[in-house]
Formats: sequence, C-alpha cells, structure tokens
Amino acid sequence: MNEKIKARISPLHWLRQRVFLFRHPWIDIIEYVLLVALLVWLMSMSTAQLGYRWQWHRVPRYLFQIREGRLIAGRLIQGLFFTFRISGVSLVLALAVGLATALLRLSSSFMGRVLSRVYLETIRNTPLLVQIYLMYFVIGPIFGLGRFGSAVLALTLFEGAYMSEIFRAGISSLHKGQWEAAHSLGLSSYYTYRDVILPQAVRRILPPLTGQVITLIKNSALVSIVSLSDLALQAKIIAADTFLTFEIWFTAAAIYLVITIALSTVAYYLERRFRILT
Amino acid sequence: MSDKHPEEHIITIEHVDKSFPGGVQAVKDFSAKIRRREVVVIMGPSGSGKSTLLRCLNGLEERDSGTIIVDSIPLDDDRRHRLEIRKEVGMVFQSFNLFPHLTVLENVNLAQVRVRKKTLKEATDLSMELLNKVGIAEKAGNYPAQLSGGQQQRVAIARALAMKPKVMLFDEPTSALDPEMINEVLDVMKNLAREGMTMVVVTHEMGFAREVSDWVIFMDGGQIVETGTAEHFFRNPQEDRTKLFLSQIL
Repeated sequence: MNEKIKARISPLHWLRQRVFLFRHPWIDIIEYVLLVALLVWLMSMSTAQLGYRWQWHRVPRYLFQIREGRLIAGRLIQGLFFTFRISGVSLVLALAVGLATALLRLSSSFMGRVLSRVYLETIRNTPLLVQIYLMYFVIGPIFGLGRFGSAVLALTLFEGAYMSEIFRAGISSLHKGQWEAAHSLGLSSYYTYRDVILPQAVRRILPPLTGQVITLIKNSALVSIVSLSDLALQAKIIAADTFLTFEIWFTAAAIYLVITIALSTVAYYLERRFRILT
Repeated sequence: MSDKHPEEHIITIEHVDKSFPGGVQAVKDFSAKIRRREVVVIMGPSGSGKSTLLRCLNGLEERDSGTIIVDSIPLDDDRRHRLEIRKEVGMVFQSFNLFPHLTVLENVNLAQVRVRKKTLKEATDLSMELLNKVGIAEKAGNYPAQLSGGQQQRVAIARALAMKPKVMLFDEPTSALDPEMINEVLDVMKNLAREGMTMVVVTHEMGFAREVSDWVIFMDGGQIVETGTAEHFFRNPQEDRTKLFLSQIL
C-alpha cells in the first residue's frame, strides 16, 4: 500500500525537486551562457558562408572616444542617453495615463467608462509604428508638438493603454472587503485608493508592470523612424556608414539587454522589499 | 418600541425592500426601531437576508425602497448624509477585512487621521487605549497576517471604535473563527454592550444573545418572523419556523 502510493506520487515529486534545483541562479546563468555560445557559433558558421569579416576592434570608438585626454561618449552611448530620456519621460506619463484610465474604467461614470474603453481599444489594436507616424505628421502639428513631443505622446498613449489594463487587473484582484472596510470607516474615495487599494494593488502588479516598462524601452527604438537619434537610429547610421552591420547591431542589442536586465533586477528587489506577509 | 419618544430611537427602519439582480428578494418590507444603548441580535437561517439588512444600514448595500434613519440623519441621496452615517456607524465583518499592508496600529490610526483629521499623536493615543481595551496592545507593531483570527477580529473592533461611532454593526463576527477564539471576541463585545454601545449583531451565538441582548429578531425569507427577548426564544418561541431553527442550532 505504502509502496503503491509512493510509486504513484514519487515521479512527479522527483521531477518537482529537480525542476526546483534547475532554478538555482547559477544554473540559469550557465544555461544562458551556453545558449549564447550556441548562437554565436551558429552565427559564425553562417557568416563564414557569407564571407563576412568580423572587425570587432572598430566598434569601441562608437561607444567611447578619448579626445584631448577626455573620455567622451561615442555615438551609440549618445543614442543610449537619448533612449533613456525619451523612455523616462514616456514612462512617467504612461504610468499617469494608465492609472487614470484604469480609475475611469472602474468609476461609476458612464462617459468615463466609455471614453477609457474607446481609448484602450483604439490604441491597443493599431500598430505603434502607425501611431508614431500619425502623431508626428497629423496630431503633433495641431498642438504645436515637435518631433520629441509627438514621439513621447505616441509612446505614452500606447504604453499607457497596456498599463491601464495592468492597473485595472491589480485593483480588481483585491478582495471587496477592503473597499467595504474603507467605506464603513468613512474614508473618501481618494483616501481609499491612496491608503488602502493602490498600495496593495501596486505590489501585486509589479511583475507585469516591469514587463511593460521593458517593452516601453524596446518600443522606444521605433521612434527612430521620425529621425529621432536614439540608440536604434545611431546603430543604423553607423552600420550604414561602416558596413559593420553585425558588430554594431549586436552591440546595440547587448546595450538594450543590459538596461532591461538591470531593470528586472531592480524590480525583483522591490518586489521582495514590499512583499506583504500572508 | 413605542413611538412616544422618537428621539430615543437611534435607528429607524421602515418598509425596507431589497432585491438582488436575478430576482432574489433578500429583504421584504422590513421595519424595526432600535433605541439608544440597545443591543439587538438578528438571527435566521443563511439566506434569510440578515446580513443584507445590516449592510443596508450603513449604505454598503443600496435598498430598493423604504426609509432608514440613523441618529436623525436620513440615509438618502444626499452625499453628506451618507458620509455622516458612514462615520457614525462602525462595522465589523465576518472576514475581519483588516488592511494587510498596514500594521495593527496603522490600521486603527488610518481613519482617525484621514477622516477625523487628528494628528498622528492624538490618533496613536486613542488607538493604543483601544488596543489595550481589546487586549492586544502588545501586537501594535505587527501585521495582520501575524495575528490569529481572534486577534484580527479584536483589532477590527478597535479600528471601528476609533471612529467613536454611535452604533456598531457586527456581521457574523465569530463565524470565521476557530472555536477556541470565539470567546475572546465575544468578551470584547460583551464589555462594549455593558458600556452602553448601541449594537446590532448578526450572530447565532445564543449565549451572547442571552447575556447582553435586549431583544432578538428572528428573520426568514427577508422578513421578521418573530421578535422578543433572548429568554423568550429559549423558553417559548411561538412560530414553527423559529422552533425548527432553534432546535438546529441549540
């Protein structure tokens, strides 16, 4: 009997224990390194067939240069700073738009719900590329927005739509007893959201929100189509000038990767810091 | 329950109806008057509308028709009236509903600071006094999840009392508790009753009803089946429905 039960449970149990082992950080890192090694090998195979000549030594000058004894940023790093700027401004605005939209969607106002729904569905169901063009050529000029302004507006509205759904999910996931307790203590809606609902909701949505912030940074590469010299546009120009196509694009991708991994790490620690005991 | 001294009645409920979407009528033509300092217990089988009625009293549920007056303030469409009633009526829930991201002390402080506009110092003084009263002051710095169910419910009572309410509503306050924790909560409620707090309590705790309640309402199908003292229900309940119910819970 005992053996029988053991036989039935143990394979799954065994597997779970293994899976748990495999999730140790070092194993993750080794897996990742192996994967990258495999990709590099595949690339070198295919570029060897193309007769591609790797010239990595020509790359560093696009990261940093030393002029008159001073270290100055190369074109890629200048592009990176621009990417930081446009992503940072868009992020702050997108969080505000996302939260406002989620609150409207959950409000008792019929018009508020309709408007937020229309905004959400319009933005979410059309390509960002098209929106950036539209903002730049049609809507931006109406409001006197320049290139930067219309790009920020496009990114803000696009990411804000997704963030509003994340906020809404987080807010709706709270037990209704939290609202009822706040209600019966006489708290206004403002304080109910500020002191009771949002602090709990934000903790819950930190993981998907981090994902959305990473998406925002990556999507910011699309603003290069209206000639904003972010990391992606700089990479494109350098690659076109120097024919270091693979080297430059790999470098640019690595820079994006470094930023987004750094962000994930920060979010991970935030999550642990603000975890609610249950 | 006479009308000679209407100002004595802190809660007046007249002809209240409440149905839920889908056609379930939870409360039917319910009328009752509750005096200041009275303790009223509402009993009845599950689905009899007792919780819904209680939740109508502080506006958590919207009644379909009828009148509710609390401390001379009508519960109507006037937002100021509604807010005033929310402030004056404290509520304790079956599932405690403490705020899990705040400490015990912060839970009790919150409404004092935000609604009563007290300073943190004033709020903390009263909070500690109340936490002492419910016997849980040593847990002031803990989070709700670190407390037992009975302790959480006592914090919830202290949190409601911190608003200095004129009426306290209890919605099955001991139903979610392990048996050995029920008494610590009931003891707090009994003390509160003896201090003269007006209380409306939905509960099946007959011992509590017998010890401190002034009268008991037995509800079924959203209506009052029978009212009387706890003693009356013990010794000689009149209606068959009441007898059947009591035989099941006693």
